[in-house]
Amino acid sequence: MYWIYLVIASFGEIFGVASINLYLKKKTGYRLLLIVLTFSFGFLFLRLAMKGIPLGTAYAVWTGLGAAGAVIMGILFFKESADWKRIAFLFCIIIGAVGLKIIE
Amino acid sequence: MGWMYVLFAAIIEVIWVLGLRFSVNALEWTGTIIAIILSFYFIIKACEVLPSGTVYAVFTGSGAAVIVVIDMIFFQGNFSIFQLLFISLIIFGVIGIKLTSDEPSENNQDTVAGGR
Repeated sequence: MYWIYLVIASFGEIFGVASINLYLKKKTGYRLLLIVLTFSFGFLFLRLAMKGIPLGTAYAVWTGLGAAGAVIMGILFFKESADWKRIAFLFCIIIGAVGLKIIE
Repeated sequence: MGWMYVLFAAIIEVIWVLGLRFSVNALEWTGTIIAIILSFYFIIKACEVLPSGTVYAVFTGSGAAVIVVIDMIFFQGNFSIFQLLFISLIIFGVIGIKLTSDEPSENNQDTVAGGR
């Protein structure tokens, strides 16, 4: 269950970064509120995950999945480059996260 | 000054991670929330003068490493060699992705990955 919390927390991070991008395009109060809400949601679930997963593991997986998700979203929706190097690094993160879960 | 901002952000990041885990009363929670906001602030300041991908790579890589070390020293975190290996793999991947985010690409105006 803690690992599910951790994945949910990473989505908070991903949507948080996406909402920062939305806000930078058009600075409205509503979009600022969206940033606060998405990140708060992420931090709340990170807190829950940390109750069952060691700090060092939880933080690394959270930040890793957050970065991986942001890149996948960037490639899919914001036309960021998807060259082989970025895909290789993406796999490093995913292998690391999955590996930590498996050997837990 | 840009790198000083990165350093402050990384130190404060470690503080809020500990706060998030161990806060129990209103005072500690207030401190944690202030630390989160401050770390955002310093990252944004650093990104004004340095490439955002580089800033995030250094900041999050060092933050994750320091948190593992603190976990091992102060909180009896027992990490096996495989766990350390997988954590290193994640840090390596994050740093790589963030650094490649700085590479210019003509059809790219908005960089999501460089965000926080």
